[in-house]
This record gives sequence, structure tokens and C-alpha cells, in this order.
Amino acid sequence: MTAAMETLIQSLVNGVLTGSLYAMIGVGLTVIFGVMRIINLAHGEMVMLGMFSAYWSYTLWKIDSFLSAIVWVPLFFLAGMLAYRYLVRAIMPGGELNTLLYTAGMSLLIANVALFAWTGDYRTLNLPYAVEPLHPFGIAVPVPLAIAFGLAALITAALYVFLARTDTGRAVRATSQNPEAAALMGINVERIAMITFGLGTALAAAAGVLLVPSLYLYPTVGEILVVKCFVIVVLGGLGSIPGAIAGGILLGVIESFGAVYVSVAYKDTIGFIMFLLVLLFRPQGLFGAARS
Amino acid sequence: MALLEVSGLTRDFGGLRAVSGLSFQVGAGEILGLIGPNGAGKTTVFNLITGFLRPTSGDIRLDGLRIAGLKPHAVVRCGIARTFQIVKPFPNLSVCENVALAALVRLGVRAEAEADAERALKQVGLGDKLDIPASDLTLSDQKRMEIARALATHPKLLLLDEPLAGLNPRETEDACQLVQAIRAGGVTVVLVEHVMKAIMRISHRVVVICQGEKIADGPPSEVVADPAVITAYFGKRAR
Amino acid sequence: MKRVLPVIAALLLLAIPLGVSNQFLLHLGITVLMWTILGLAWNLLGGYAGQVSFGHATFFGIGAYTTMILYLSFRLAPWYGMALGGVLGALFSLPIGLICFRLRGPYFSLATLAVAEIIRLVALNWESLTNGPVGLLITSLPQVTVFGAAINWERKEPFFVIVAVLALCAMLAAYLFTRSRLGSYLTAIREDEDAAEAIGIDTTRSKVTVLALSAFLTGLAGGFYGLYFRYVDPDAVFLISLSVEMVFIAVVGGLRTIAGPVVGAIFLTTIAELFRERFMVGHLIFYGLFMMLVIRFLPEGIWGRALRILTGRR
Ligand SMILES: Nc1ncnc2c1ncn2[C@@H]1O[C@H](COP(=O)(O)OP(=O)(O)O)[C@@H](O)[C@H]1O
Ligand SMILES: [Mg+2]
Repeated sequence: MTAAMETLIQSLVNGVLTGSLYAMIGVGLTVIFGVMRIINLAHGEMVMLGMFSAYWSYTLWKIDSFLSAIVWVPLFFLAGMLAYRYLVRAIMPGGELNTLLYTAGMSLLIANVALFAWTGDYRTLNLPYAVEPLHPFGIAVPVPLAIAFGLAALITAALYVFLARTDTGRAVRATSQNPEAAALMGINVERIAMITFGLGTALAAAAGVLLVPSLYLYPTVGEILVVKCFVIVVLGGLGSIPGAIAGGILLGVIESFGAVYVSVAYKDTIGFIMFLLVLLFRPQGLFGAARS
Repeated sequence: MALLEVSGLTRDFGGLRAVSGLSFQVGAGEILGLIGPNGAGKTTVFNLITGFLRPTSGDIRLDGLRIAGLKPHAVVRCGIARTFQIVKPFPNLSVCENVALAALVRLGVRAEAEADAERALKQVGLGDKLDIPASDLTLSDQKRMEIARALATHPKLLLLDEPLAGLNPRETEDACQLVQAIRAGGVTVVLVEHVMKAIMRISHRVVVICQGEKIADGPPSEVVADPAVITAYFGKRAR
Repeated sequence: MKRVLPVIAALLLLAIPLGVSNQFLLHLGITVLMWTILGLAWNLLGGYAGQVSFGHATFFGIGAYTTMILYLSFRLAPWYGMALGGVLGALFSLPIGLICFRLRGPYFSLATLAVAEIIRLVALNWESLTNGPVGLLITSLPQVTVFGAAINWERKEPFFVIVAVLALCAMLAAYLFTRSRLGSYLTAIREDEDAAEAIGIDTTRSKVTVLALSAFLTGLAGGFYGLYFRYVDPDAVFLISLSVEMVFIAVVGGLRTIAGPVVGAIFLTTIAELFRERFMVGHLIFYGLFMMLVIRFLPEGIWGRALRILTGRR
């Protein structure tokens, strides 16, 4: 294998691994948008809270950060449902821009409470088993990222099964496609919205838990993540779950190739420029067909 | 020369051809009915003429001058005004403000614009509702207000998209009289409808489209007897 | 009487440094006035025209950097730099507007966010121009004498007067704007964009014009920021949260009024500065909290509600 080939494969692998986690965050945002037409600007803060939860589990109680997901993900699911029920639901009739402003307020509130409580320090979590990367086929794969990828794939597969096989999951999909028709068919749209908001929040927090050993952690990290998240869901088409998965992996690969072949400094701009181009010329997303 | 000339007008949405090689003319002083079943492409034709959509191909001329591809605001300044199938009032503004805005664009002076707006509103029968917020009007009154707003741009040609839909028989009758009065005032009118009855009575000529193509063009009495129209409209059932 | 009152208020504002010498209070006043300008500027676009931008930090940053770079490289006095910063902000807004205004509603908001992030990354990485993440620092301001006395730039009074004049100009501009034809056209656009176009309003041009005006005022305030703090870096002037703060001040104070952003700035900035003084971090907690409360319970904003109570409507 030539050195150039090796670099190419290495950055592809890195991109896909990171992208799988982006995808999970994107799926969380996109299911919420699909069912409620809310662009949740506080989504990045949910990831941040997930990261901190895992971080504290490890540093305070010595619980493995990946293992802590078992506790945190259901808790965030519950928290998401409560947030919808008591905070978000009342402003839904105000229209899309109002919900956008409201979730912007929520985002700033959460990030600054975190800043107040935990200071703005950058933290890292070093797992004892994560020092040496794996070397399958001569490619370096960091252990935590490999575990995160595996778990992300598992969780996404579980989500698919839930949406495809369970009655509640089918109701979520139906509501996403057409809320009026779903309501007429006797689906309790309010309940579905609450579950969906919990689901989206849980996905974001789960991604946070999985990301924490691989990323710097600080209270305003959500600001950057949520913007990346918009790139992902717009690339994939707002509201589309397969689109968000593809968009997440695509963004991961773009960033990792950009860092190698363009410049580390400008790797993030590539994503944003694609985002603008897609918004302007293919608002239905790169992969989706036009929805009228 | 005809006031409006549409020739070979075509518009695709992805794979769907919503308007296909459509040609027709509107003479000055005419009331032309543009009819066709739901989804035939009537609104799309209006959107193409008024610049809300760009034609895939074909030509649109007003007084011999090409207007296809112009932005909507430029088309208005050439003398074509329109209403919308689903009314689009400025909901939080008063009835008078709604119409005065249209006059302001043309006149540039607020006081004159308001006088002009009041005149247009009297003409459509809303002279006593000037200060009510537009969102508080009934549907029938909102449609009238939209007509007044269009008239305040002083058009040569007025395009009305389903002005009668959703009105009760009395309101329908009043709206028909209004259209005739507008024409008597020197404005040419094109009416889109998918209900036939009223339009047949007030139109001088009718163009029928189905699936984006013209299937008949002539005086109402001839068109209603046209077998192609009957099939298109009522399906095999009417046969 | 109605004409005299604003003049008296303006004179009183300018006279504050004569009576108040507490430097912290003056600093608070300066911050409030700077945010007043930003809130007013954002309100022209977001309030009157209904176009919610999440990217106004771009124009703020451009104004701040213009002022700093022109002074450091060409010794151009910062007050000229400030004006040029406004102009450059307005010029930049033209292509940005032409791109983003092709989108509507929340999609417009997301596009402005993306553009602002691109520009922040450029500012962070174009080191030969911006000195990158290290930022730019002015060590001393040029000497100026007024009525034979040299201005002491180490005190807050001169800055207070400068920003007060700018804020008054911004209020006047906003007032004239609301009475202009452009103001009426933008009201129509906010109410229904298709209908606005259908009565002959060139919606794109109107929106681009108001964006340029808004960007000019924002750039001016950015220039003032550079002059006052004498230090800028990309994370101080190009940050998303800065854009968001502008939005919040206008919304919490009350959209579509001139006094709204003033009230919003007084209210939020005072709380934030006092909080910052006491706790260092987390001063935006109240921005988030009040935003949520206002959207939920006071959609017309604090001043909007006060006005309704004062004029006795409903
Ligand atoms: N913006 C659009 N995008 C995609 N398809 C459209 C759009 N506008 C109209 N269509 C399609 O074009 C056809 C004609 O629609 P329309 O002109 O509204 O019909 P009508 O007004 O005669 O009822 C319909 O099949 C409709 O679904
Ligand atoms: Mg139609």
C-alpha cells in the first residue's frame, strides 16, 4: 500500500467514525423537526449535557463513561419529554420563528448555567484502556472512537427497529409525514410529539456520552455542535432520518478529508459552504426527492 | 393586437409538466374565463404570467412587449395585477392600509395613496370597513379587499384566481357584478374558476385547460357543448 | 411638546458625564448604549422586516477589525475607522443579503448563521490580516484636544459621549426609517412576502437595503467596541452568541418599536454586567431565561406591553 493510499484510507476511516456520531445527533434533530416542525437550537446543549453526565460519572463515581449511557440515556429521554410538556408545547402555536427564538433562549440558558456551574475550562476524559490505538490493516483506530462507532450503530439500528416495528414508532413516522392525517387516523399527536422530543433529546445525549472520550469538553461546545448538526440535516433533507445518517457520515468524511487535503484551518468552512449551496439549490437535501 | 398574448407556454415541476405548450390571447376589454378541473394548471398559468414562476419555455407578451421571466413586482408595474386563490392579506394591517400600500408603491405620496385606497375600497363595497384589521374580515370581504388592492396598482389586466370559491350564492352574485363593473371601468379581466356556472354567464370567452393543455377556446355557449370539455370536466360519468 | 421632549432627553443623556463620575456606572452606561445601537440595528431587519438574522456578529466584527486595522497599519484615527467600519459592514451585507434572502423564515436564519460562522473562521485563520486568534491590541489612542484641553482616554467620560451620540443617531435613523416608504414596504414584506411582491414592491431590493442600513449601524457599534476596549479577537467580536444577544435585546425589549431595544438593552445589559462583576462567567443566563419568558408570556416584549398598558388598549 502506498503512503498516499494509506492516508486516504486513514482519513476515510476517521471521517466515517466521527461521522457516525454526527449522524446520531443529526437524527435526533431531524426526528424532532419531522414531527413538530421545530428547529431545536438547544439540541447542541443536550449533547453537551450528555458529555458532562458521562464525564462526571467517570471522574466522580468511577463509572465507565460508555457504561454510564445505560443510566443517562433513559434519564434524558424522560427529561426531553418533560421539557416538551412543560416548556416547549405552550409556544408551538406561535409559529416557526417563535420556536426558533425560544429554543435559542433555552440554548443560551443551559449553556450559561453550565458555564456558571462548571466554569469554561476545557476538560478531557482519558480512559485507561484507550491509550494505544488499534491497528487493523495498518490503519490507526482510536479505541474510544471504535467503541463509540459500534454503540452508535447499535443505537441507530435499535431506533430503526423501533420506528419500523412498533406501533408507537409507526405513529411517529405517520405524524412526521402528515400530522393532520395522523390525527384523523386517531393517533394522539400530542403524545407522539412528547415521545419524539424525548427520543431526539436522548439521541443527542447518547451521542454526547459516546463522544466524551474523543472530544474536548466545555459548556459552550454545543454552540459548534448544533451548527454542524444543521449542516448535517440540511445536507440530508430536513426531517429525513436516512438523510441525516448519510449527511452525518458525509460531513465527517468531508471534515476529515478537508483537514488532510485542504487545510486544518478551513476544514469547517467546507461544510458550511456545502450547507449554503444545498439550502439555496437543493432545499430538499442531497438525497431526497422533492416533497410538495 | 391582443392585450395579452401567451404562446407555447410550458412549465415543468421535476418530472411533472404542469403547463404544456399553452397558447391563448386576451383582447382589451374582455372578460376571459380560464377554466379546468382541479390540478389542471390554472394557478400555475397565473404564476407564470405574473412572474412568480419562470416558464420552462414559451413566451408571454403584454401589448407586444415580452414579460416572461420578469420578477413579479416588475410585471405589476407593466400593468398586470392579480389576486391569490388562497387569499394573502397583510393580516395585521387595517383594510385601508392594505390597499393604501399598493397605491403608495405607485404614487409615492402617502396622502394621495390613502385617498386612492378609499376610492378602490368604495368601488368593491368595503367603504365602511376601512379601519378593521384585515384578518377580522370574512373570506368574502378578504377577497374583495384583495381585488381592491390589485385595482390600486391601476392595472390594465386583472387576473382573479378563483374569486368565487367558498362564497355563498348571494356573495357569488355580488362578486359577479363587481367583476362586470371593473370591466366597465376599463380593466380587462381573466377569471380562473373550476366551478363553471357563474363564469359561463359573465365571461365573453372561455379557455378550457386540462392537464396543462388547452382543449377548448371560444364563446361559453360553444365551449359547454364541446364533447372534449364534457369528458375532461365531468369524466365518463356525464356521457 | 412632543418635539421638545426627545431633544431634552437627548441633552440630558449627553449631560450624564457632567453629573456622574463613578467609572463603573459610566462603563455600564457605555455598554447599555452600545447594545442599544445593536438592538436598534437588528430590530430594523428582524422586527420591522421580519427577517430573523442569527449572523449580525459578522458586521460587528467587520466594524471592529476595520477600526483596529486602519489605526494600527495606517494610523487612521479610530473615529474615522469607525465610520469606515460601518461602511464596510454595509458593503459586506450586500452579497450576504443577495445569498440569504433567497431563503425565507427559519431557513434564512440558518443561512445567516452559516455565513457568520464562515466569516468567523476566515477571521480566525487569515493571520496576515487579523493576527488570528491572538487578536489585535491598541496600546494608546491619538491625542485630541477639545477647547484647549487634551482628552483623557483613560477615563470613561469621552467614550460615554461618543457612544451616546452614536446611539442618538441610530435612534434618529430608526425613527426616519419607520416613517419612510421603505419602512412601509418592509411592513408589507413582513406581513406577506408574496402579496408585497404582487403589489409591485421589489422585495429583494427592499430587504437588501434594510440589511445594509442595519449592517452599517452594527459595524459602527463594532468600531466603537474596538475603540473602547482597544482589543479585538475573533472570539470576542465574531461569536454566534454575540449575534444571539442582539436578537434577544430587541425581542425582550419589544420588536417594531424604537424604545424597545433601548429598554431591552437597559434591562438585559445591566443584569448581565452586574452578574459579570460578581461571578465572572455565566452572565447570559438571564438572557436565555428572559427570552423564554418573553416568548411565552409577553410576545410583544417589555416595552410593547408597557405601551399597551400606557395607551390603555385592551
Ligand atoms: N410549486 C409547485 N411545485 C410542484 N408542483 C406544483 C407546484 N405548483 C403546482 N404544482 C402542480 O402542478 C399541477 C397544477 O397545479 P395548479 O396550477 O395549482 O392547478 P389548478 O390551479 O388548475 O388547480 C398540480 O399537479 C400541482 O400539484
Ligand atoms: Mg388553482
